[in-house]
This record gives sequence, structure tokens and C-alpha cells, in this order.
Amino acid sequence: MVTRPLVSVVDDDESVRESLPDLLREFGYSVRAFSSAEEFLRSDCVGETRCLILDIAMPGMTGPDLQHELRVRGPAIPIIFITALADETVCSRVLEQGAVECLFKPFSETALFEALNAAFRVT
Amino acid sequence: MIRKASAVWRSSNAAAQTGCSLDRHIRPTTPVVPGIAEIGASVGALIREGRPLHDVLSGLCRFFDASLKGCFSSVLLLDRAGARVQNAVGSGLPAGYMKQLVGRRVKWIETPIGAKTSKTPVIVLDQVSDSVELSPILSLTGEPLGIFAVHWRDGSAEAARWYSALIPQFTHAAAATIERLRSDETLRRSAAVLERTQRLSSTCCFSWRVATDEISWSKELCELFELDGEDVPMTLEPIGVRVHPEDLPSFDEMIEQARRGVSEIEFECRLLLPDNSIKYLRVVAHQSGDQPGQLEYIAVVQDVTHRRQTEEALAKLRAELVRTARVTSLGVLTAAIAHEVNQPLAGIVTNASTCRRMLAVDPPDVEGARETARRTIRDAERASEVIRRLRALFYKKGATCESLDLNEAAREVIALSLSELERNKVTVRTDLAGELPPVLGDRVQLQQVILNLFLNASDAMSGVDDRPRQLVIRTERDEADRLRLSVRDTGVGFEPREVDRLFDEFYTTKSDGMGIGLSVSRSIIESHKGRLWATPNDGPGATFSFSIPCASQDATSTSRTVGRHMKSRWL
Repeated sequence: MVTRPLVSVVDDDESVRESLPDLLREFGYSVRAFSSAEEFLRSDCVGETRCLILDIAMPGMTGPDLQHELRVRGPAIPIIFITALADETVCSRVLEQGAVECLFKPFSETALFEALNAAFRVT
Repeated sequence: MIRKASAVWRSSNAAAQTGCSLDRHIRPTTPVVPGIAEIGASVGALIREGRPLHDVLSGLCRFFDASLKGCFSSVLLLDRAGARVQNAVGSGLPAGYMKQLVGRRVKWIETPIGAKTSKTPVIVLDQVSDSVELSPILSLTGEPLGIFAVHWRDGSAEAARWYSALIPQFTHAAAATIERLRSDETLRRSAAVLERTQRLSSTCCFSWRVATDEISWSKELCELFELDGEDVPMTLEPIGVRVHPEDLPSFDEMIEQARRGVSEIEFECRLLLPDNSIKYLRVVAHQSGDQPGQLEYIAVVQDVTHRRQTEEALAKLRAELVRTARVTSLGVLTAAIAHEVNQPLAGIVTNASTCRRMLAVDPPDVEGARETARRTIRDAERASEVIRRLRALFYKKGATCESLDLNEAAREVIALSLSELERNKVTVRTDLAGELPPVLGDRVQLQQVILNLFLNASDAMSGVDDRPRQLVIRTERDEADRLRLSVRDTGVGFEPREVDRLFDEFYTTKSDGMGIGLSVSRSIIESHKGRLWATPNDGPGATFSFSIPCASQDATSTSRTVGRHMKSRWL
């Protein structure tokens, strides 16, 4: 049996947590969804995650906070940021910090697909 | 009572000499004695010419010197207390000598005359001289005005007799001259002060005898109205021509009031001048003379053009600020709206993509597709709900004044700003009273105020890390039948001394604030006949509250008030 690479989704918005995993599974990935950065860090998925789809604005620890935390902890996980606030400044900052892509919600299936391909090329 | 006075020129060795000393070294002279009528005519001519006091007194001295050969007279004008020489006038004496008399001290010593004990003033001057006779110049009430000093070059017994005859007439003439010209001077000075005061305060005066329509008015008023000929009798007609056509009805009404005999009249009107410029006048008239047919008004006219223009510019600026404040909070709101709408849109796009993929496989995953379709619809409904709230907030049409539910207005603002508040890690607790009566007002404006209080509270808590950032919004009905809405935060609060300035335009404690939010909010609440205030909390933070009357209380008057602040201030 071929192990599907794990993509983790961290977003406080429920409709994203419901819809995105289904699409990612259709793409052929195995998926875990978390409602906060803290929940993701507490889980046993951090080491396994091959790509992280991460919301920027979240109560508590934000997406960029998590990005920083992961970089401190060790081997980088490719990150695709998703955000409902089309803020170019924040976006370019996270890209400078090594994010693969920054997608503005709502994003198309193609844009997501290409971002994932880019993420897996990095690995 | 006329007091007799004798004068003494005291020498520096303090040998006081009293009384008349004319009988020393006297040579015969032939004095010409003028009568009081002649003196009066001579002095009067100088006064009529409008000559200053110095010239008139100098003329008087010349007249004396001509009348009594061998002597030089001078008038020493004294200060108000009669204790010091203020000025010395005399044509026949050297200027340098006259000058050194100025500032000299004068003493009045009471001495008995003969057997009588009546008090007689004696003038003592610290000055060396041996042939000077001093006579006091007294006012009608006996106040010392000056000294008539006569220096003898030589003299005869006859001259001494003439001297005794002349001196009362000349001191009398001098006293009359000084009093007359000093009161003229006082009048001139008060007229000058009045003129200057009028110019400084941009005011003019006029009086108006109602029965005859006689108007006497100042030169300044002529200038203000830009009318020619201050000597031409002024009537209402040329004044009316200058009044701005739009203000004529109120002008006529004022005239009507005056004819009815109203005791105090106050009104403002504009003038339309020949060059099409406009002046703003404020008139305050006070009735004087209450006899029938004697009705007269004394009025002050103030040119308030500058003030009105400043007010108009300020009002324009304020309106601009209100607009800017709206745009600013709209900017914050737009970001919140984008977030609110983009979230469900992301869900919709993703679900639809998944749905298509599920149907594209063989065999199609119908159950999965149905689930994603259901979620698509749910997210679309969520997006449309955001739009509906927005429309409720911003696209209100028709009257700006309506009966509205304050709780509902507050709930809409809460729903829209929730994500913005969450982003700032602020928790919101609502404590809205049930069954509140409606209020009358502009929904958008009131929601603007609530939103402003929310954003302020959120900003005040942005630096707080040692306690929960909590915002409590509360509505209640107070004892005075008004609805009160308060927003309490756990932020940095404010110093008690700041409380007066919190609502000032441009006063801000934020680095990125303009300091107009609260000032605009207060003006909105005040236009709703309400009050907006701030109180520091017992614990950390502050509470901002406003209260406005219930619609049921006095619906019509409130409705009028809301619109009134935009109307013209002119009658």
C-alpha cells in the first residue's frame, strides 16, 4: 500500500476545515485539519506533515507565529498560506520567511494544485 | 465760598516770606487795567479758535504782562492733588527757567489771617527767588488748579495797587480757562476712546427716535454701511437698501417690534454691499425714553463678518471631518467585510471543485457530491447574510430620522465588527436590556457612534497583555426615560484630567489616530438630543456611554431637533 503524503490544514474557519480536506483527498493526499496553531503543535502530526496549509489571521497564535515556531524547531515544512484578508504586506513578509505560496481566499482549484506541486517540488 | 490766598516763594535758606512784598524797590509805572470782560473776550477768542490750553494760558499771561509793565507772569499747572507742578506756561520768561519749575513740589499751609481763624492755603515752593508773587488758581469748588506767578522786574506802589486789582480777575480767568479746556479735553478724549473702542471691537452706535425716524449715527457706522455723507440726516431708507434681500423680512420685523416698543431688540442680518460683498451685522438695541412719542433706541451694531465666516469655514471643515471619519472607519470595516465574505466564498469554491471531481470519477461519488453541494449552499447563505447586514448598515434610503430599535442597531454593529475585535483578541459580552422602547434617529449615524466606541475600546486594549481584553456592551432604560448604551473596556483607561479633552477635535492618545472619532460621535449624539460621556472604571479601563430620549417621549420635537443643526442660523 502506497502511503499518501500528509497535508495538514490549520484554519479557524469551519467551512475551510470542512471543504478543503475533501478536495485535498480528491487530489490524492491524506489530510488532517486543525482549528488552531496550538492544536496542530500539540498533535502528533507535526513530524509527519509534508505540507502545511495555514491561515494567516487566527485568534491566539497566528499563521506567521506558527511559521516562526516551526522554523525554530527544526526541519522546515513547506507552507502554503491562505488568507481572507488580502494584505500584500503580510503576504510578502511570509514569503520572505520561506513560505511556498500565499493564496487569497477564495482561491481556485488550479491555484491550490499548483501551490501543492510547488510545495512538493521543494521536498 | 472763595478762599483768599496768599503765596510765598520760599528761598533755599528757608526764610519764609509771607504776604505781599511789592513795596520794595518800586518805580512808578502806568498800568493799563483791563476789565474782566476784556480778559474774557481775549481768552474766549483763543478758546473758540480751538487752541490748546497751553496757548490760551500763554495768551492770558501775555495779556497780563501787557497790562502791568515791568512784570512777567506765568501759570503753573498743578497735578490733581495740587502737590506738584505739572506744567509751566508763560511767554515772557526763559524756557529753561520755566522748565525747571516743572515737577517742583507745592505745599499748602493753612495759616490764620488777622484775627480770623479761617483756613487759608499758602503755597510754598523750594526755589530761590526774591521777587515772585504767587496766587493760587482755584476751581469753583475750591480745588487748587494752578498758581499764577508774577515775577517783578521792577514796580511802583501804583503798580502794586494795580496788581492787587488785577490778580483776582486773572486767577479767575485762568481757573475758568483751565476748567473749560480740561473738560473739553476730557470730552475729546472720551470721544477718542469711544472711537477707538468702536474700531477695536468692530462696533458702531446709533440712536433712533422712532416717532420721527430721526437717526443719529457714528462715522464708523457710515463706513460700515458704506454710505456717503455723515452730515446728511440718516433715515431707515438708505439702511434698508443695504440689507440683504433674504434678510429683509427679519429686518422689517425688527422695525415692527421697535415701533411696538419692545424694550430690548437683538438681531442679526447681512448687508449686501454695492460690490456684492456681504457683511454680517449683529444689532443690540435698548429702549430709552418711555414718554409717548419719545420712544428712542440706543443701539450697538457689531460687524461679525469675520466671526461668521470663520464659523462657516469651521462648519465646512467639520463636515469634511465627519466624512473623513466615516471613510476611515469604513476602511477598517471594509477589511472586516472582506474577511467575512471571503471565508464563505473560499468554502464555496473549494466545495464546488470537490463536487465536480466527485462526479467526474467512475462511478461518481454521488453521496460525497451531495454533501459538498449542501455545504456550498450553506456557505453561500452565510455570504449573503453578511451582505444583508451591510445593506442594513450603509444603504439606508429615505428619511434620516426613523423609529429604530437600539438593540437591533447594536447587534448589527457587533456582528460586523466581531471579526475585527477577535483579531485584536477582544472578547465581547453583550448585556442588552429586553423590551426597550424605540428611539428616533438616524440609524447609520447611531451605528457609526457604536462602531466608533467599539473600535476605540479595542484600540485601548491593544497593548493589554496582563488581563483579559474584554468589551461589554450594555443597553438599559434610565430613570429619565432615556435609553443608555455603554461600552466598557479593560484597556488603558484615561487620566481624570483628560476627561474634558477626550471629546475635543484632534485630541488623541493613539499614534495613528486623528482625534476626531469621539468629537464626531458627540456631535451626532447631541444632534439626537442626547449626551455622550466617559467615566473611568473602578478597575482597569474606561466606559463610554451615550443616552438618547425614547421616541415615545416627545417624538415630534426630537424629530425636528435632529434636522435643525443643519439649518441656517439666520432668522
